[in-house]
Amino acid sequence: MKSWSLSARIIAASVVLAVLVAGVFAVLIYAVVTLDNAREREAATKDVRTALVGLEKLVIDLETGLRGVVLTGNPRFLQPASAARREVPRRARELERLVADSPIQQQRVRALRVAINDYVDDYLVPIVTLAQENLAAVRQTLAAEEAKRRTDDIRRSFNELQSTEEGRAAASAASATTQSRRAIVLGVAGLVACALLIVLFGLYLARSTAHPVREAATAATRLAEGDLSVRLSERGPGEVGELTAAFNHMAEELERHQRELQSQNEKLRESERRKSELVHIVSHELRTPLASILGFTSVLLNRDAEPEEQRRYLEIIDREGRRLSDLLNDFLDAERLEEGHLILAPELIDVARVVAEQVRLFEGQSEKHTLDMVLPPTPLNVHGDANRLAQVVGNLLSNAIKYSPEGGTVHVVAEQENGVVRVSVRDEGLGIAEDQQERVFVKFFRGDAPASGIPGTGLGLTIARSVVEAHGGSMNFKSDSGEGSVFWLELPTAAAG
Amino acid sequence: MQGSTAKTILICEDDDNLRQLIRVVIGAGYRIVEAGDGDEALALASEHRPDLIVLDLMMPGMSGFDVLRHLRGDVSVDGTPIVVMSAWPNAQEAALEAGADRYIQKPFEPDHLTEIVESLLAGADE
Repeated sequence: MKSWSLSARIIAASVVLAVLVAGVFAVLIYAVVTLDNAREREAATKDVRTALVGLEKLVIDLETGLRGVVLTGNPRFLQPASAARREVPRRARELERLVADSPIQQQRVRALRVAINDYVDDYLVPIVTLAQENLAAVRQTLAAEEAKRRTDDIRRSFNELQSTEEGRAAASAASATTQSRRAIVLGVAGLVACALLIVLFGLYLARSTAHPVREAATAATRLAEGDLSVRLSERGPGEVGELTAAFNHMAEELERHQRELQSQNEKLRESERRKSELVHIVSHELRTPLASILGFTSVLLNRDAEPEEQRRYLEIIDREGRRLSDLLNDFLDAERLEEGHLILAPELIDVARVVAEQVRLFEGQSEKHTLDMVLPPTPLNVHGDANRLAQVVGNLLSNAIKYSPEGGTVHVVAEQENGVVRVSVRDEGLGIAEDQQERVFVKFFRGDAPASGIPGTGLGLTIARSVVEAHGGSMNFKSDSGEGSVFWLELPTAAAG
Repeated sequence: MQGSTAKTILICEDDDNLRQLIRVVIGAGYRIVEAGDGDEALALASEHRPDLIVLDLMMPGMSGFDVLRHLRGDVSVDGTPIVVMSAWPNAQEAALEAGADRYIQKPFEPDHLTEIVESLLAGADE
């Protein structure tokens, strides 16, 4: 019996109350019945008394008749006695019936009847008979002890019967009084107990049901108003405990869902913000070369120019067209990398040559920068896609130049050590703030670059690292804000073929 | 005073090709001074007191907006007409607010730039 459910508790309490009320009524009914019995007993005693008096009167009639006959000698006096004699058996039977509930009394009545009969048969009848022959002798006899003894016996019997009957009535009345008093005390105590229990039960119901229900309602209102942190105490009995537990579970779920929604919302907003930033970046990065292409085309079409100039303009258009094309390829690469579709055309290549070519390409692009290259005398052979690796090295060089707007030296070192080919590019530029370093390789992340007016898409390093990793290599960097950065890539060496 | 008739135009643009394009489009008849970044532009502006400045917004280092603020705060070039050119979408309002006289969105029509330059120079004459 771990914990009773609320309905079990209510039913149990109702049963206890019902039993108590029934008990109280039973006690009260018993008291009423007892009083009723006592009253009946009293009535019966009165009847017995009346019957006794009636029978006693018959005996007196017999006695008086006998005396009358003896004193006067006149048989006329015997008339009431004769009537009494006939009446005695009936009266005696009635008396016997009235005391039927007490065997002792019944026996006494029977003994009394026998005594009366004996008195009549053995004394009265012979005396009367004798009185008709010898009145004087009879008169003498009558005075004798015998007559007194016989009537005294009968009278004693009467008295015994009478007093016993009175005693019985008194005992019954006393017992009825005691019992009814006890019953009244019990009944009152029971009623008080019932009333107290009903009040307690009501209080319990209010405390265990109404109170938690009101709290749940208040909490539900607060929940509806948006306070999802609201919780109920789960200590209530049975169903109330289940209700509060279910409520708390619901509130937790709601809170969790809301948190999820909020975080999804934030992600959506962030992605929305990045998308709009991307649109800006893309449009800027596309418009700059496009402006050169359209501008020079228009100049060529609408204005006169020397053939030498025309050629220079066409070269610019060509270069900027390629720049656009590269830009689009970057976007496509990023897309492919996202879907894991980067295709490599690996062959045995000399990384030193790739680096040298890229350095030569970038050398002429900036007047402020000096490119310092250190290459080993032997080839740095790896299995790789020459174009892709050239793109990676080109990206590192382009970044080194872009992110050192004040100019300076860009140090490029390619070397081989312990089966690893390593290419590093170090600049003396802006460097990367510490809090932005972990996002350097994240797609479209550009840190402070847009604010500094440095163009770019935020795709170069993302693509570069993916390309190096697709070659089984790795890419990393070290940077101090304001002191420049060094980026390097490491590729597994291939045996010279 | 190097030739009293030729007006001086300062072109400030970090992209070499575009700088060259602007020079070609604006054409002969002007004295062109070119700057590749903001610092250089400010130095050249105070040195040459140009009659008109063509300014790119997005440049490494000092941005075009910074240059605008400096120019507008400099008494010597305060009244000089400035044409801002940018590849950024929606930069027009900010540029005009920062003190630009005209705004040209890249890519641009060469004749449009020519017209604007001529009208601004003509207006400044009056």
